[in-house]
Amino acid sequence: MVDVPMRAHGRRVFFQQGTVLKLVVVLILLLLIVFPLIRTVVFTFQPDTIGAWGDVLQGRLSKNLFYKPLGNTLLIGAIVSTGCVLLGGFLAWLVVMTNVPFRRTIGVMATLPFMIPSFAAALAWGTLFRNDRVGGQIGWIQGLGFDVPDWLAWGIVPTLIVLTLHYFSLAFTIIAAALATVNSDLVEAAQIAGAKGRRILMGIILPVTTPALVAAGSLCFAGAVSNFATPALLGLPVRMQTLSTRLFGMIEVGQVGRGYVIGILLVIISGAFLWAGNRFISGRRSYATITGKGGHAKRFDLRAARWPLFCVAMVFLLASTVVPTIVLFASSFAPSSANLFSGWTTHYWIGTSNPSFAQGIPGILYNADITRALVVTLALGVCVAFLGMMIGLLVSYTTARYRDGWLSAAITQFSFLPLLVPGIAFGAAYIAYLGAPIGPFPALYGTFALLVIAGTAYLLPFSVQTGRAVIQQVSGELEESARITGAGFLRRLASITVPLAIRGLSAGGILIFVKIIRDLSLVVLLFTPTMPVMSVLAYRYASEGFAQFANAITVVILVISIVATLLASRLQAKSQPWLKD
Amino acid sequence: MNISKLARLGVAGLLLSTTGLAAQDLDTMSVAELLPLAEAEGTVTVYSFTSRIGKVEAAFEEAYPNIDLQGFDISSTEQIARLTAEAQAGVTNADVVYVSDAAVVLSALLEPGIIGPYVPPRVADRVPAEFQSPLLAQRLSTKVLMYNEEANPDGAPVDSLWDLTREEWSGRVVMVDPLQRGDYLDLMTEIVLQSDSMAAAYEVEFGSAIELGDAANAGEKFIMDLFANDVILVGSTDDVNAAVGGLGQENPPIGFTSYSDRRDNEEEGWALQVANDVAPAPGIIFPAVLALSAEPNSPAAARLVIDFLMGDETETGGPGLAPFYVAGDYLTRSDIAPHPDAVALDDFTAWRVAPASTAEIRAEIGDLILTLQ
Repeated sequence: MVDVPMRAHGRRVFFQQGTVLKLVVVLILLLLIVFPLIRTVVFTFQPDTIGAWGDVLQGRLSKNLFYKPLGNTLLIGAIVSTGCVLLGGFLAWLVVMTNVPFRRTIGVMATLPFMIPSFAAALAWGTLFRNDRVGGQIGWIQGLGFDVPDWLAWGIVPTLIVLTLHYFSLAFTIIAAALATVNSDLVEAAQIAGAKGRRILMGIILPVTTPALVAAGSLCFAGAVSNFATPALLGLPVRMQTLSTRLFGMIEVGQVGRGYVIGILLVIISGAFLWAGNRFISGRRSYATITGKGGHAKRFDLRAARWPLFCVAMVFLLASTVVPTIVLFASSFAPSSANLFSGWTTHYWIGTSNPSFAQGIPGILYNADITRALVVTLALGVCVAFLGMMIGLLVSYTTARYRDGWLSAAITQFSFLPLLVPGIAFGAAYIAYLGAPIGPFPALYGTFALLVIAGTAYLLPFSVQTGRAVIQQVSGELEESARITGAGFLRRLASITVPLAIRGLSAGGILIFVKIIRDLSLVVLLFTPTMPVMSVLAYRYASEGFAQFANAITVVILVISIVATLLASRLQAKSQPWLKD
Repeated sequence: MNISKLARLGVAGLLLSTTGLAAQDLDTMSVAELLPLAEAEGTVTVYSFTSRIGKVEAAFEEAYPNIDLQGFDISSTEQIARLTAEAQAGVTNADVVYVSDAAVVLSALLEPGIIGPYVPPRVADRVPAEFQSPLLAQRLSTKVLMYNEEANPDGAPVDSLWDLTREEWSGRVVMVDPLQRGDYLDLMTEIVLQSDSMAAAYEVEFGSAIELGDAANAGEKFIMDLFANDVILVGSTDDVNAAVGGLGQENPPIGFTSYSDRRDNEEEGWALQVANDVAPAPGIIFPAVLALSAEPNSPAAARLVIDFLMGDETETGGPGLAPFYVAGDYLTRSDIAPHPDAVALDDFTAWRVAPASTAEIRAEIGDLILTLQ
């Protein structure tokens, strides 16, 4: 460090490069993420709620309140994240690195499952596999005369399957993006040196993509352990509890203190896992792989395995996209799930109010609640995606360029915190945080702003993660040269980082849009009747026994999500290098 | 204290007293007097714990075409959480609150002044005093043992609640998780409060005095045995109805649900019937209450809705009561004849819930159930 010229410029002595930026980012994250959570922790230490800690951690209640759900939660997290990395990694490898047939189709289909709300996938599972354990309605398969065993109809096995088939596309997106940017120089050098496919995989591709694998694994882990709808729908009939269903149950019956304690413990436990993952990534040296030069390597020839591997991929893709979609679509017309494909009626879509049918609820086309919810949901998706992308870019840029120091570490940790907080707890925290007036600021409860702010904060990890994967790979040397020629921070951001990172940012934006419009757990507590969103309406209809309305709304959410994705991929057709030939 | 401060206090006091007066005025107004005010307000929002609000909405808007009723179906437990949060935020979304779970409503909503009582003067002389205070009860609702009458044409397959703890009913008793719906926690609580009759029923059923083991009383023992017998917990009463009532089942389960859901038998393809003769009682009967939010956005229309929900001057209460004039709901209007298909209220053996004593041990019973899951 050259001290003298810096002294000449006064303030530079105190502000190391990037410190101001870091402070701004930290402040944003504090306001968005940390304060609501602190508010929750403070809540549990009030005199009348502090006893909840004892109830949860020791004593006669603790086994059922905490330790058993904890076991289930960890099991789900471990198996689902492993399964997702294997499945997502396999598909990403097929699409990006090999000459498997219909690569584009596989690539597009692998990103679809994430658009299907996990509660919809769980409902679809029930529609198909439900057995007569709870009597009454049976699923389609049992309706055909097959006997569905309990372990396949309810509990941990279906939960694991549904969640893996849901979250693997997250792993796919991350791993494919990383594979697509593997520097061809490295691969070609290896090929010239005579290395074979396996050697290239183990020696170059795996090490370079390890950060992506770890990131994918930890994101899937965090998603799986905080998922509420799937274990609630598939586990509750056999009394399988996870920490998130337990938390929901506690808040639902007004035992908010215990609920928050469970939520805090969930944050701490999964925090330990994510911290380990992060530590692993940050501890590595720079892995910039997009440089100013380089092209794409030759594809790996699968030879005779082309079609068999294609079939394997399609089994998973069909099971996770087409099947649930057909089931949802069919059951939005079918009067009962055992007879999914007969006696169809269009009432749930275009019927007018008829007092003798479904308590007089009109079909969703004539339903004012649903129309309003549609408008609110779309506006929410756009606002959250835009705001999320902006903050996500700022955060990922800051941590990528100024990686050292405790402020950067804090930024990384803060921005990932929401992942560890079940949506329902995050929603509850936001009600505690902005539900009452703060000084001169009015309470935001029931306002659109509250939904936008909470949604942005809640999904920040995803925008940051996507931005980060790309920005860290935009080689620092490009920006370095711009700085040498005198470009300021904003100029560098606008002319170099954003254009190069636009793929990651748009992908993040779409991811966020789709995630928020089909999110249930976060908005289920923030929802007020005057500010309705689609997913909550769907869930309400489902829990009141109007499965057809729920499924019809879910189909609408699905269509919007797919249209959004297709539109976006059209807009950025050039920036999906893993689909290029 | 200076003069300007005094003046401000005076003005504030004046304002408070006029709003007080205004509310009192509204409370005594007739429907004809309320109507023009309500029409000026235009819309009114109702939080309802029953999905039947959809039918009420259609009927209300037909009766009062210039007022838009926005009805929202929100479970009692959730309404309590939501109204509390809204009160904290200083936001009023609901004008009218239609809710059960009285044990919690009284302490969590009425006492802190989040909701307030209103009895339409038109029907005040035709609702017994016990149903007017502290809040107006529109009807009595139930959570009782129901069975499938198609599979059991000769009556209920059980004659005692204790039958449900026998091996043959293992995995075949269905109810909503009491930790998710307050009504079911109230049911479990009442079983404990009625421990003496549970003990007597045990002796009748098994021929020997009850041995409590780890349980503190016969009610707790029943709950523990019920859970040990693999009781099935589902998410909503309609899941119970479908499980228990579904037509074409050879060996249907039995379960706790609302007696009045029998009204949907034909529409939904159910065969639900109440097991009224089980010892010591089939379940609980509790009030569904109507209240105003503390400061409704549409105070006149809100009162009009409550008036409408109490039924008109026709024999069965007209369109406002039509969704509730069904077997299994017991209207509190003394001048409306009970539904002919239902067990008469006097013969209905369900326990009447006492909100105060329920509130006392409710959390404890919740904890007990927690240890059993």
